[in-house]
Amino acid sequence: MLLILLALFLPLSVFGQGGDDSGSVLNSLSTFWSNTGFANFEFKYLVMIAVGVIFILLGIIKNWEPLLLVPIGFGILIGNIPFTPGYQVGIYETGSVMNILYSGVIQGWYPPLIFLGIGAMTDFSSLISNPKLMLLGAAAQMGIFLTFMGAYAIGFTPQQAGAIGIIGGADGPTAIFLASKLAPELIGAIAVAAYSYMALVPLIQPPVMKLLIPKKERLIKMKPPRAVSKTEKIAFPIIGLLLTTFISPSALPLLGMLFFGNLLKESGVTERLAETARFALINTITILLGVTVGASTQADRFLTADSLKIFALGAFSFVIATAAGLIFARIMNLFLKDGNKINPLIGAAGVSAVPDSARVVQEQGLHADKTNHLLMHAMAPNVAGVIGSAVAAGILLSMLA
Amino acid sequence: MTLLAINQFDDILMESAIGIVVVFTALTLLVLAFILVGKLSRKSISLKRKQKEIQTEVVTAPEKILSGNEIAAISMALHLFMNDVHDEESNVITIKRIERRYSPWNSKIYGLTNLIR
Repeated sequence: MLLILLALFLPLSVFGQGGDDSGSVLNSLSTFWSNTGFANFEFKYLVMIAVGVIFILLGIIKNWEPLLLVPIGFGILIGNIPFTPGYQVGIYETGSVMNILYSGVIQGWYPPLIFLGIGAMTDFSSLISNPKLMLLGAAAQMGIFLTFMGAYAIGFTPQQAGAIGIIGGADGPTAIFLASKLAPELIGAIAVAAYSYMALVPLIQPPVMKLLIPKKERLIKMKPPRAVSKTEKIAFPIIGLLLTTFISPSALPLLGMLFFGNLLKESGVTERLAETARFALINTITILLGVTVGASTQADRFLTADSLKIFALGAFSFVIATAAGLIFARIMNLFLKDGNKINPLIGAAGVSAVPDSARVVQEQGLHADKTNHLLMHAMAPNVAGVIGSAVAAGILLSMLA
Repeated sequence: MTLLAINQFDDILMESAIGIVVVFTALTLLVLAFILVGKLSRKSISLKRKQKEIQTEVVTAPEKILSGNEIAAISMALHLFMNDVHDEESNVITIKRIERRYSPWNSKIYGLTNLIR
């Protein structure tokens, strides 16, 4: 078809000349053909293109994490157009434009910049007003370490197992950061698994919540959070940074940027910087990160048995993390007085996935009692989960790198 | 070989246990720090409130009962002040003098024919 079209547009005189010339034209055409996507096409690329289209549609139609799924989905399309290697086109070809953009993922400097933006966006008041809810963010990190063991048990190296385990942290930038340091060869699969399951939080968490929390406990109403002073809000990023990074210095790039972004927001004197971090900067990095992570799923590297195992382990780690948060919340209730009891549903928000898991908690709370709004309470373990998963990533990095 | 594998799994188990303990330690320290900060903040707020109360007690000491007219006058004054009513204007109209800056485009001399004699 393409050849016919080309023939129509080429001057007829070219074909009217001697046999040698027409041969060279045909040679050029055949060279051109061999460089097209059609000539390099393999079925696996079609599979990945279908995955990319599904991601885009889920983002647009279902509105599931559209800011992530649309760039990643389109990135998958970009990464899976078949081409002839050697023209500096592909994301894995040194010096290509995509390869240069991908350096932010491979060298791990996109995630800290995303964390800067997250810090400048996040209001830690609910956490500061009820600090004990931070423990739920720690409990949900069980998913990381159980998946770490599981991945090692099914044959991954300790480094790869650590990088896979972090999917349970439900935090895309943290997963990419750790995978870039421990197992760069798995970064595409890990990132796509992490972001996919984050988008699927509204489907993964509710069944676990219903299974583990009895109806009676889902009805518990919590005290409204107290007002937090400006001094406390300013102290939080400073104390938070000092305490967490002295314990786990490897988490410094992530936590340093997270708390710095928060200080920009709360100080009240650096509003311009905070605004840049929470809008322009994070949006730019999200675009670059999404597209390059998507493009890194080139079919020949992505469609492997390991990727399937990573997806299975990722689902397992999300379920375990959710369950650990919920069970720990129930255990906490055993030690709390009647008026201070917490609604165990908020334990599910301990997996980071900000703010989706908190939204799921709110929905489930309303499902049980239409007057019970848990969103503000759920935001506390939710943001604690971000800190917890970054600390966990730091520990894994220091033990395995 | 099996023994080695078991040993390695033991290592992984140990590392995981350490990891969980460290995550809990870090966040527990944060919890304790912020329970402390919260208490200090509440104390300082209640201290400030007490000081304010003492000050306001001194100010609100007079027990004189105001008459209705006085209350109405004060209310009216406050009302006018709060709503910033402009019932009196200055009635002065100012005409600003517009300065014409020199420009060769409107200069008379260039509009005349200069004959060289």
